[in-house]
Amino acid sequence: MENSNSYSPYSSSSVDSTKPSPSESSVNLSLSLTFPSTSSQRETSQDWPPIKPRLRDTLKGLRLRQRGYHRALFVKVYMEGVPIGRKLDLSTFSSYESLLENLSHMFDTSVICGKRDIKHHVLTYQDKDGDWMMVGDIPWDMFLETVRRLKITRPERC
Amino acid sequence: MASVSLLFVTLLSVTLYINIKSFILWDQSQTFLPSLSDSVLMDRRFPFKVLEHIFSFVDSNEDRNSVSLVCKSWFETERRTRKRVFVGNCYAVSPLKVARRFPKMRSLTLKGKPHFADYNLVPDGWGGYAWPWIEAMAARRPLLEEIRLKRMVVTDECLEKIAASFRDFKSLVLTSCEGFSTDGIAAIASTCRKLRNLELRECIVDDLGGDWLSYFPETSTSLVSLDFSCLDSEVKLSDLERLLSRSPNLKSLKLNRSVTLDVLESLLRRAPQLVELGTGSFSDELDPEEISKLTKALSELKQLKSLSGLWDLLPEYIPVLYSVCPRLTSLNLSYATVQMPDLIDLLSRCSKLQKLWVMDLIEDKGLKTVALCCKELRELRVFPSGADLDETDVTLTEQGLVSVSEGCQKLESVLYFCVQFTNAALVSIAKNRPNFRCFRLCVMEPFAPDYRTQQPLDEGFKAIVERCKDLRRLSVSGLLTDKAFEYIGVHAKKLRMLSIAFAGDSDLMLHHLLSGCESLKKLEIRDCPFGDTALLENAAKLETMRSLWMSSCFVSFGACKQLSQKMPRLNVEVIDEHPPKTRPDSSPVERIYIYRTVAGPRLDTPEFVWTIHKKPEVGVSRLAIR
Repeated sequence: MENSNSYSPYSSSSVDSTKPSPSESSVNLSLSLTFPSTSSQRETSQDWPPIKPRLRDTLKGLRLRQRGYHRALFVKVYMEGVPIGRKLDLSTFSSYESLLENLSHMFDTSVICGKRDIKHHVLTYQDKDGDWMMVGDIPWDMFLETVRRLKITRPERC
Repeated sequence: MASVSLLFVTLLSVTLYINIKSFILWDQSQTFLPSLSDSVLMDRRFPFKVLEHIFSFVDSNEDRNSVSLVCKSWFETERRTRKRVFVGNCYAVSPLKVARRFPKMRSLTLKGKPHFADYNLVPDGWGGYAWPWIEAMAARRPLLEEIRLKRMVVTDECLEKIAASFRDFKSLVLTSCEGFSTDGIAAIASTCRKLRNLELRECIVDDLGGDWLSYFPETSTSLVSLDFSCLDSEVKLSDLERLLSRSPNLKSLKLNRSVTLDVLESLLRRAPQLVELGTGSFSDELDPEEISKLTKALSELKQLKSLSGLWDLLPEYIPVLYSVCPRLTSLNLSYATVQMPDLIDLLSRCSKLQKLWVMDLIEDKGLKTVALCCKELRELRVFPSGADLDETDVTLTEQGLVSVSEGCQKLESVLYFCVQFTNAALVSIAKNRPNFRCFRLCVMEPFAPDYRTQQPLDEGFKAIVERCKDLRRLSVSGLLTDKAFEYIGVHAKKLRMLSIAFAGDSDLMLHHLLSGCESLKKLEIRDCPFGDTALLENAAKLETMRSLWMSSCFVSFGACKQLSQKMPRLNVEVIDEHPPKTRPDSSPVERIYIYRTVAGPRLDTPEFVWTIHKKPEVGVSRLAIR
């Protein structure tokens, strides 16, 4: 940023390998300016502008959403027969495949959707009308709008 | 009676001495006080009982500090009657001395880390440990009822010690603290049977789950305020409902984000007497019936004055809040990511509003509405949403603040984040509102000049300090030369706290401030191009202040050593996370924190903090930390 001020400050929050040596510090030179002058630097800087950590985190989330990311969408996930469920943020997935992969990992079994299968666990969901439906019939985006809970059923039940 | 009121008047007109003198006097007196008997201490004209009665009308700690400097008997009477003790810097005095000085202490307030710790400028592990204080009070002042800590490291052991040691413990308020887990909170909840206030304000807590809430006693509680808004994990709804049902005195409740909107109605039904409410998330989907039940529940809160929380407030839920708006005096929308024009519907109904915290999504238009509708406004804070970085269309400019300064006659405290500003705007604002006590402007673009004239913002801030004679707190930003600080030094005579970033040209800047601002107590500076000369020339001034923080400035190691040697009653701390292998006197230091103290050198400094008392071969003392 062009300005008439001529000196070289350095950011204290990052390791600055180009600190001015003692003799240079009194000279009016613009050396490496590592303070957050550009927007992108301000984005990643942890200490400017001066706002508290919790607000900083909230704003990160806000800006991710404004950029078109889905807002956090936590739903409960139950494995049939297991009373304690898990919670999952569906907004972190982009498709059914990634969701299934994650669930399979989480519950240590293979979870699929759609077809009946005597060998695998099948994923079902409760929609906003309260009805239990098979996962996979509607487009992913529409699914995110309507899903309220997930249940992984025992193979025979479907 | 006349002589008593004369004494009272005399008392109040005693010149305000600085805090430090009070402690020095007391410090010296410790060597012979114990041998004096009460009869010797009694003033011949005014017996102890009379003085005691008069002093009971003296509330403010500053006045009490002045009182204690008048003479020995006043000192003694005052110290035996002080109930609320405030220590602005936990390293300025030793816990033991404070415990011994105030036998009737019922409330202790402590502050630890410097203010810039809020913005990640103080490395972890610097200090500010609560343990030594709690240990000292537990041993000597078991009747302590209230502990208020700000920016301190509090461990579970500290909390357990509090629960175990103070049988009448009533109030725990932790602001920006860290180091404890929900287990510690559970200990307080279960053991302190007379607990009235449990407030965790913006703390960083090791959240092990929501069980702690179930630890409150099963019988009715004496809770008046409960704030767990900084916790992340879910608490059980049934625990919360039952707690509310058995806490008839609860006036302030601040939920955390995981409390979803669908359960809010059930909670509010059980606490219609609330004066302050911090909701949880406000974005979950509700069906029309739920919405109407929630609207009704909110309208039943006839005493509600303060509303906060409102995470992710959806525009369609704003009408739900309409019934509470006309009574609100405080509204915190910092987490409500609502944009214009939806905000207008909300704000235009808040005619009694005194305090408004909001994001810059309010834009100039929204602030115009505030100027028109919120005539009682005293405090305004506008936070950055980061929208400017995304180049989203959010038009918050200097005009917004100008409108509010015109329309809101009672406005006295402002915190305003804006990308750029003009001198003309600052001059208007100063003309409109000479009653500012706190003016904090953060122009987010460092070194940004007046964007219309390309001049530094010197003249603008000059107007502010010239006109606002009662200014106590100021934060400056934008392009500023030494001249700006000359103006501040000349005019800001009541200024107590000043924050500066990316400003000034030379040592003159610091010199103007230290030689001019008579009431200056706290000065914090980052990224400014000077250090040594002004610091050494004004060393004596530093003893009249609570603290000075300078980071990323040009202060040399040699100057730090010189200052330490010259001023034994200052602790000069050099905080360098990446110290060079050899440290010649001319090498610049990353951060310097200077504060006056009668407690001598700290025993709990980590490796990255250098003080003149440190011998390289002596390790860090771990005794002070638990």
